[in-house]
Amino acid sequence: MEDIREVEVLVEKSLQGDKLSTARLISFVERGDKRASYILEKIYPHAGSAYYIGITGSPGTGKSTLLNRLVLKFCEDKYSVGVIAVDPSSPFTGGALLGDRIRMQLDHKKYDYFFRSMSAGRVLGGLSRTTKEAARIMDASGRQIIIIETVGIGQSELDIAKATDTVLVILTPDSGDGMQMMKAGLMEIADIFAVNKSDRPGAENMLLSLEGILDQKKQDSEKDNWRPQVYLTTASLNKGIEELYEGIWKHYHYLQQDKRLEKRRKTQFKKELQMQIEREFSRVLWETIFEEQSIDNLVDTVWPQRTDPQAVAQRFVQKRLANRIAGKSK
Amino acid sequence: MERKIKVVMAKLGLDIHWRGVYLVSQFLRDAGMDVVYLGNKFPEQIVEAAIEEDADIVGLSTLSGNHLTLGPKVVQLLKEKGMDRVKVFMGGVMPPADAIELEEKHGVEKVFLPDTPMETIVKAYYNSTDEQQ
Amino acid sequence: MSQGTTEKKGNLFNQEQIKLIMKSYDDWFNGLSDEDKISEGKYFTHSGITTKLLYTPADVKDIDYMKDLGFSGQPPYVRGVYPNMYRGRMFTVRQLAGLGAPEDCNLRIKYLLDHGATGVNILFDLPTIRGYNSDDPEAEGNVGHCGAAVDSIRDMDAFFKDIDLGKVSTSIVTHLPSTSVVIPGMYFALAEQRGTSLMNVAGTCQNDFIMETCVGSAPEILLPSASFRLQCDVVEWICKNVPHWNPISYNGYNLREAGTDAVAEVGIAISNAIATAEELIRRGMDIDDFAPRMSFFWDLHNDFFEEIAKCRASRKVWYKIMKERFGAKNPRSLLMRYHVQTAGVTLPATEPYNNIARSAIQGLAAVLGGGQSLHIDSYDEAYSAPTEEAALISLRSQQIIQVETGVVNTVDPLAGSYYVEHLTERMGERIMDYIKKIEDMGGLVAAVESGWLHREISGYNMKHQKAIETGEHKIVGVNYMKAEEGETTPIEVYRYPETYTRQKAKLDLLRKERSDQKVKECLNVLRDKCHSDENLYPYTLDAVKNLVTLGEIEEVFREEFGLWSFPLI
Repeated sequence: MEDIREVEVLVEKSLQGDKLSTARLISFVERGDKRASYILEKIYPHAGSAYYIGITGSPGTGKSTLLNRLVLKFCEDKYSVGVIAVDPSSPFTGGALLGDRIRMQLDHKKYDYFFRSMSAGRVLGGLSRTTKEAARIMDASGRQIIIIETVGIGQSELDIAKATDTVLVILTPDSGDGMQMMKAGLMEIADIFAVNKSDRPGAENMLLSLEGILDQKKQDSEKDNWRPQVYLTTASLNKGIEELYEGIWKHYHYLQQDKRLEKRRKTQFKKELQMQIEREFSRVLWETIFEEQSIDNLVDTVWPQRTDPQAVAQRFVQKRLANRIAGKSK
Repeated sequence: MERKIKVVMAKLGLDIHWRGVYLVSQFLRDAGMDVVYLGNKFPEQIVEAAIEEDADIVGLSTLSGNHLTLGPKVVQLLKEKGMDRVKVFMGGVMPPADAIELEEKHGVEKVFLPDTPMETIVKAYYNSTDEQQ
Repeated sequence: MSQGTTEKKGNLFNQEQIKLIMKSYDDWFNGLSDEDKISEGKYFTHSGITTKLLYTPADVKDIDYMKDLGFSGQPPYVRGVYPNMYRGRMFTVRQLAGLGAPEDCNLRIKYLLDHGATGVNILFDLPTIRGYNSDDPEAEGNVGHCGAAVDSIRDMDAFFKDIDLGKVSTSIVTHLPSTSVVIPGMYFALAEQRGTSLMNVAGTCQNDFIMETCVGSAPEILLPSASFRLQCDVVEWICKNVPHWNPISYNGYNLREAGTDAVAEVGIAISNAIATAEELIRRGMDIDDFAPRMSFFWDLHNDFFEEIAKCRASRKVWYKIMKERFGAKNPRSLLMRYHVQTAGVTLPATEPYNNIARSAIQGLAAVLGGGQSLHIDSYDEAYSAPTEEAALISLRSQQIIQVETGVVNTVDPLAGSYYVEHLTERMGERIMDYIKKIEDMGGLVAAVESGWLHREISGYNMKHQKAIETGEHKIVGVNYMKAEEGETTPIEVYRYPETYTRQKAKLDLLRKERSDQKVKECLNVLRDKCHSDENLYPYTLDAVKNLVTLGEIEEVFREEFGLWSFPLI
């Protein structure tokens, strides 16, 4: 298959660190090209040695500026960095206006980084899966630090955060109070908090408030009993960045001990696997449905009977499964 | 699945006018494209972005007279880096003769001068990628 | 009709007559065709004020002539800031000059002065505007384009060769505070070197932080609060040291061109003035120390009467704010003086000669609105910087208005027009509301840092563009009565002279001839002072005298103040 040949070459080059090929592979995966699973299968064994950092925060928190400063720090320490910046796309047109690169000014000849913007869009499998896959490709191509940046604190973003080793949540003095944080689920996912724009009034208060809540919370076994840290930063003036950077490495070293990182990733892998298996089942089932009978037909059939949907679904699935096992469908 | 078109848009060099390029970016987004907006960048940065984003199209905006100096550089660098399938569009203010020169001699796909309807621009971007599929 | 107490309005019109007019208006309206009746309420000025088919005294029935209009040169200044307006002082004919190297500009300036221009307006190239030297990598491809390249005080010297700095009024168009703290300094240092006292140096610089942080995009932008601090430094120092120099011109023009309507244009500019005034008062100055030196820069757009109303209303709004809010006592603090330029954004590339008519009409509106100085755009606006021929036509257009039309013989001739007075009143109200809205957000600096202003601008542009695409907003020759495809007017276009090599040579020489030690010292002091509360002007002055270049000073600002970019997306 010459189709595959083209991709084979790209994979080969990407594994050697070639940017263009890596970028192209990510595109294949983004649009759910049929060769995507081939690609992932080939690169997966080479991935796993990178350190994954998830950064999230609402718009207006100065996230991009902070990201820029952190990337510089990693690059200065001679790490090869990969960044995936995720932005939502229009629910109506599917298009997106992605602005995370505006602040990326670093000289790519001096610093080794790869920046990729990604939109939610009409991507098969949802945003989080594609992002993770793209990160794997970057990992396999030799990037040592992979940063996934998302905006806001919605479900998608929380999912991505759960797929990284260290989660950094960015707030500002205007971000609201501790209760709102708790509601948003931030307390559960964050390993590190950065209170950015800390030159604004209220920064100290926010710090104290967060520390107070964190002190009261039970140790979270999901997070290996790590007590999240809070840092004050002013990214535009390059203040507090050093401390934050050190703080990230502190978490990394914490994870290195007692095989915590491996445990954490294994747990993430398990959850991912569960989700993928469910997805696969779902996919197979739906394909079967579309082969034989559209859902509209089914509705038309059962509607007069006024049966509840759960009962219908159970009967339907049992029947389909039985058919498959009996080898009826192809 | 339908392939989404990826565009990298930039203000060329120090050019300060962002009204037009931001409008075009929004119209392209509304037509379903993914537009990576770079703000003010120079040719090497623009090309590096095009590589990393695996762009189909690069759009350059300039009203400050640097179109003949910096514009062709972008086209040339794209070729050197193996990205010659990328189409380069330019827009802004320049003498019409320069626009023609850019299109005929420097490999720019099309230059959009003032008064070009948005619809025309969006269509041109859209159609330029047809050949690639 | 007696004046009565301050509570009672002095009605200009006989109230019985007004009642009669109102009743008769209803009869007249009912007599209109159905089509006309339906169309009422469907016509608007560009900023959205309803325009009726017919205006009568009833539309301005509450007008109190003495309070609401007054006389020219008297509060509330609606009719003009000076009693004799153009009879006493013809609007300064300032034409823009600035392209290529300073030596080229010197020739263009002399040409314009010889042909009747009475003031000099200097534009700079992009690298200079944004604070880069001609040989910085960021300057690539832009040196000498759209304006003049100035890297050091020596360039300023070449600019004004054979021109007496004590005899000319120079507008140094440094848009940004970060360069207004340097380039006018070069001019001042030069004047002193030539033996002209700063007491005799006249001119203006723009110095508007909105320009630095909203209107123009750039690879590196200072934080709005830093740019605002420099803006105030410039005003403070120049007020105290250069009495005939206007240190700030609130730029409504470029903001408008970037994408706002008439109300926002004035509202934002005045909000900027309010913020500046509050800061300078905090620094210990008195309102009357600096208010007389503040001036404005308006855009003259297409909607003929709305623009005139905007000009008239802006004078009244300024007066009220200076008098009632700041308690200004010096009558000169109450005057809103402004330079006005016809709207470049309304001049399409298609059928460019039409633009001569557009600009002339806008120029007429500018004069009827009562501005202090005027620039009429050239017809080749959409192509590049103007050729000499195009610049001359603009200059002639102004002179024609001045001496052939008679409109300058009387002050504020449109006063009393029911429509114009109604519009003026409405514009005034809307502008005040806009200012209040910004105040409620915490002031203009906060409004900018939050991204609000950028969203206003991009929102306006989207709306306007859609109106053009649908044809609702008509542009002759472009989307209305569009000529057949393929008809292009061949016009001569200005070609920028090659500038980079000359500037680079000068810079190389300058670096050899200056004292590296002194340069280092100056920059270190400056770096340090950025973090203090001190006014930076004395330190930048010192630097330019020691042949420190513009780019070097700006680099210090970028490093010490921190960077920012549009909170757009």
